[in-house]
Parts: sequence; C-alpha cells; structure tokens
Amino acid sequence: MQAAIQVDRIIKRFGSRAAVDQLSFDVQRGEVFALLGPNGAGKTTVVRMLVGIIRPDEGRIAVSLDQSTTSTLPPEQTGYLPEDRGLYREVPVLRTLIYFGQLRGLTAGEANRRAHEWLERMSLMDRKNERLDALSKGNQQRVQLITAVMHKPTLAILDEPFSGLDPLSQEFFLDLVQDLKAAGTTILLSAHQMDLVERAADRVLLMNRGREILAGSMSELRRHLDDRPRVRLTIEADGNTQAVREDADVEDVTVEEEEIHITLRPGASVPSFIARIVSLVPIRSIATEAPRLHEVFVRAVRNDDRKADS
Amino acid sequence: MSHLRHCLIVAGWEFRRYFKWKDQIIGLIFFLGISGVWYGVAKVLQGRGRTITVAVVDMNLQAPPSGRLEFVSAPPTDSARIEGLRAGDLDGVLSRGRDGTFDLLVEQDPRYQAELQALLNAISQGERLGASGLSPQDLAAINAPAPLDVRFTDPTRQQTGTAEKIIAGVLIGVMLISVFTSMAYLMTGIAGEKQLRVTESVVSAISPQAWIDGKVIGLTAYSLTGIVNLALGGLVVGISAKLATDFAIPKIAIRPGIVLVIAVVAILGMILWNCFFAAVAATIDDPNTSTRSSMLMLPAIPVGLAVVVFRDPDSLLSHLLAVFPLTSAPALPARMVLSNPGIVEILASLLLLIGAIWLTRRVAGRIFEVGMLLYGKEPSWREIARWVARPTT
Repeated sequence: MQAAIQVDRIIKRFGSRAAVDQLSFDVQRGEVFALLGPNGAGKTTVVRMLVGIIRPDEGRIAVSLDQSTTSTLPPEQTGYLPEDRGLYREVPVLRTLIYFGQLRGLTAGEANRRAHEWLERMSLMDRKNERLDALSKGNQQRVQLITAVMHKPTLAILDEPFSGLDPLSQEFFLDLVQDLKAAGTTILLSAHQMDLVERAADRVLLMNRGREILAGSMSELRRHLDDRPRVRLTIEADGNTQAVREDADVEDVTVEEEEIHITLRPGASVPSFIARIVSLVPIRSIATEAPRLHEVFVRAVRNDDRKADS
Repeated sequence: MSHLRHCLIVAGWEFRRYFKWKDQIIGLIFFLGISGVWYGVAKVLQGRGRTITVAVVDMNLQAPPSGRLEFVSAPPTDSARIEGLRAGDLDGVLSRGRDGTFDLLVEQDPRYQAELQALLNAISQGERLGASGLSPQDLAAINAPAPLDVRFTDPTRQQTGTAEKIIAGVLIGVMLISVFTSMAYLMTGIAGEKQLRVTESVVSAISPQAWIDGKVIGLTAYSLTGIVNLALGGLVVGISAKLATDFAIPKIAIRPGIVLVIAVVAILGMILWNCFFAAVAATIDDPNTSTRSSMLMLPAIPVGLAVVVFRDPDSLLSHLLAVFPLTSAPALPARMVLSNPGIVEILASLLLLIGAIWLTRRVAGRIFEVGMLLYGKEPSWREIARWVARPTT
C-alpha cells in the first residue's frame, strides 16, 4: 500500500509552546486513520497543517493522492470537516451546497446534481430550500458533512465528526465513514469517542502534549500497552463475588450489575483461574476480554503525563 | 483551479448574499412614493387649492390669470370688512394711503403675501416709470448687466455652472454613500463569518487571497447596483418634479469619455477602500466592543478633503488630491466635471490608484489569512505588522 500522506517531524509553536512537537506518521491509501488524544493534545493543529490552513514551523508534509507528490493537499481531491464547524445560517441549504461544491472544483450544474443526491441520501430533500438555521443541529451537521464529501474526495479529513451528535446520528456518521472507505476514500479522523473510533479505524495514532505516545493497529496498541489476561463473568443475581476478589491472581475487579470484569496479573493462567472459581461463584457465562480503546487511551495518557511530571 | 475562477465564484456568492430583487424594487417604490408626495404637494401649493379673496378699497386691481388671488370690492364700512374677515369670506382687505403706502388688513397670517407683494411691486414700478418719463425698454437697458465673456486658454473648456457644481457634489456624495454601504456589508459579513466559524471550511478549499479578492469584487458590484438604483430613483424624482413644477433639468454636455473615466475611477476607489475594510474587519473579534471599529470611519477624511476640489478645482491641493490614491476617487471626478485635468494627470491618477489597490489587497490578504482564524482576541498592531511582513509560501 502506498502512503497518501507522509508527515515527517513536524513542529508547530504558538509563542514559546510547542503545540505539535516532532510528530511523524503516515496515512496509507484507502485506510481509516484516527488521531486520538486528550483536549489540547495538538490533534486539530495537525489537521490544520495537513489541510494547509496553517504552516508547520519545521518538518515536512508530503501528499501523494495520485501519481504526483506535493506538499499541500489539492482542494479538489480533499474533503474537510473542521472541528470549528459553521456555514452561512441565513442561506438556503441547496445554495450553500452548490457554493461549497464549486469551491471544491465542481461546475455549478454538477454541484447541483451531487447536492440533490446527497440530500436524498441524508433524508433532507424536503428541506433543501430552507435556511440552514431552520434545521436542527444534527441536520446542520449532516449538511456540513455533505460539503466535505460531495465532490468525491480521494482523501477525507474529518475533525471530531461525532461530537455533538446523538447516538443515532453517530451511528449514521459511522456508517458513512465506512461507506466512504468502501468506495476507496482515504480517511483521517480525529475523535474522542473511543468506541466509535475502535469500530471505524484501521490504525490509530495517540497524541499527548503534541507528541506521539502510541501508534499502530488496534490489536498492536492493546498488546503494546496491556498484556494482562481479562475475563468477563456473568453470574446469578444473588452470587457472591468475594471469592473472585480474594483470588491470588486477580489484580482488578469491576462489577456492573450481573457482569464482573476481571483483570488478572501478568502471566496468570486463565484456565487455572476459571477452574478455581467455578465452584465458588454461581456463573452463567464466561468470556475472555481484550482491553478497550478507552482503557488503552486513559492508561497511555496517564503514563505519559506521569513521565512528563517526573 | 485558477485564482480568478475562485474569485468569481466567491464574488457571485457574496453578491447574491446581499442582492435581493425585492429590496431593489422596494427602494424604487420608495422613490416613486416620494415623487408622488412631491407632485401632490407641489400641485396643492400651486393654487389647486382655495382661491384667496382680497377686498380692495377704492382700487381697480387685476389678478394674474395663473395665480390664486382674486380681487373684489371691499364692503363700505370697517365693521362690515372685519366681519367679512372673521367669517372667512375675505382673506384680506387692501387699501392705499395718500402717500402711496399699501395697507393690508387681515384676520390670519397672510400666506399669499409674496404673491401679492410681487403684484404690488409691478404696480408701483409702473407708476414710477410713468412719472419719470422712461419707457420699460429704457429701464431694461439701464438695469442690464455689463457683458463679460470668459474664455479659457483651452478652447474646449467651458465655465463651471451651478449644474456642474451640483453634479460634482452628487458624485462625491454618491462615492461616500457607496463606500460606507460596502463597509457596512463587509463588516457584518466578515464578522459574521468569523462568529459562525465558516472560515475553515472556505480556506481549506481556496486561498485567503482569492477569498478576499472575491469578497471585494462581489460587494463592489453590489454597491454599484445600489448606485444604479439611486440614480433611477433620482431620475424618477426629477421627472416628477419637472411634471409638477417648472423645474428645469439642467442641460449639461457630458462627454462619454469623461463619464467612462469617472466610472472607472469611482469603481477603483471603492475597490481600494473595500480591501482596506476587509483587512480591518478580519482583525475585529466582536464589532460591538471593538475600538478598532472606529477605523472604519477613516474614508470620511479623504472624501471630506475632496470638498476642497469643489471649492477651488484648480488649486495645487486639488491637483494633489486628484492624484493621491486615497482621495483620487472622489477628487478626480470632481475635477473632471469642474475643471479640465490633463491626460497626464488622469493617467497618473489611474496608475497610482491601481498600484495602491494591488498593494492594499496583498496586505489585506495577509492580514485576512491569519485574522480570520483568530477567535476570541484582537491582534495587536505589532502582530498585524508581523503577519504582513512574514514571507509567503
């Protein structure tokens, strides 16, 4: 696979503070690449540098969406959903879409045709002549997303695409990301919603304080950060979990109603543990678990913060 | 995609954002309304209303046929005359003393006094003329002004008349209106875009320079439609004034070349100021609280200075104002109407104006590029200077 974007040791300073510090990564063609990080980690600064809104102080960005390599993203081949979202509120939806389509290289006629297609897909056809501010926030987000993808970009950069959406709209956006990927679009997204990123992303780069702290596929991240065995038990309603807590191999226990999430010490044997507790606790089902991205994220950032503080 | 295409797309968008046929038609209807009111009021004032009845004592006066005045014989007694005045049957009682003094007895303030005075003046003048033995022709010859022909060294130049001065004043006024109209729309438009967070979506697709250029073109075009609408409205009012009164529309020999140069200079001047406004607006975070908003009144200074041309179009200062880019847009057209600037002056003025536009739009583009992405604070002048001075990519 060939890299669509190669970022090489970019640095961006605001005053004396480095918002992005020696960051390198690449995004392969056709993949969904996620930038993760806590607030202020530098994700949006990276995205803005990629899009060309601001320039890195040092380092290099190479873009290769077709045969040629450039230092900036060609607008006609790029779709961008900014974190700071906004459109002209007093203008009808269709006119807004045609304008942004034209800015991205479509003719007025083609932009009109594509806008209609997308409005149909987003169930907004009957609202096309209404002013944008007559739409709900979720529908405004949908219109904004159309402006980012209606010109069929080779690369879509989506900054916090799920923020401010209700769960149904989040699922809708997630499906859309997967549809874009299926159509061959390379996608770079930054987000906070770990469960959604986990489902959408092929690879992840975790940032903190402007630097990379973890990068790789989901399974690589899990292995890298946490190789402790995990077990999930579903027990009878009146079951006593004390025996589980007192087991020598158990390091951490979280109880959620009838479900118990157990983390064992590194190197502990899962079969031996199950054999020991199966006679002590009324168990309905047993499953092994992998650490969720949320936990990976929290642990990695905390470790990095501890290192920085010390 | 080319810079020009982006500019034109943005210009079209900005123009359509503000231009509404409905508003233009409402504007014209407003002028029609004014014209109608003017026409009606003029007709009423011209005597389509009530006839003024003046009783005359021992005199035989003939009222002019086009006026409101009507003369009747006065009642024989003072009490009957006063009764007639109080009852409203008479508007005045006119008598004349032995020394020739006219006396007008009234119940209310005589609003027809000027009309009556003109008539009595003519009577008095005729009496004095008869007593002196002069004929009316002799009197006209005595009162005739001394003949004076003014010739200019340039035989094509004509002396400035009142009509030319009015046109020059209108040009300066229209320029001022257009500049401030554009300013208002640029200000609200750009501040709105910053507040609505539209900026990133646009500058990820086109260069900030293309954005600002398109905005300036679009809003200048919109201002021009305002001028056209104003001109149409003025025409409607002028025609109605001509129909209602004897208002004479001045005949001025306007040469097409001069009209073209004036139009070009005015448009270039608006573009120059619009570039300036766009740059200032991009540095303002909240127009309601920003002290920088006062900068937007700056165009009033050069436009105000251009009044100098109106007073003395051939002074050294007028020559300078007509060439200096910040003042040439109102000053050169005024000089072209009131005086006769040479081709060198016109060319120098145009070239300097174009150069100033190029420089201002480049500076504005650099300020715009950073200023439009700066939320929540206003940059200092030092920061703005740094943005302007930084190297381009």
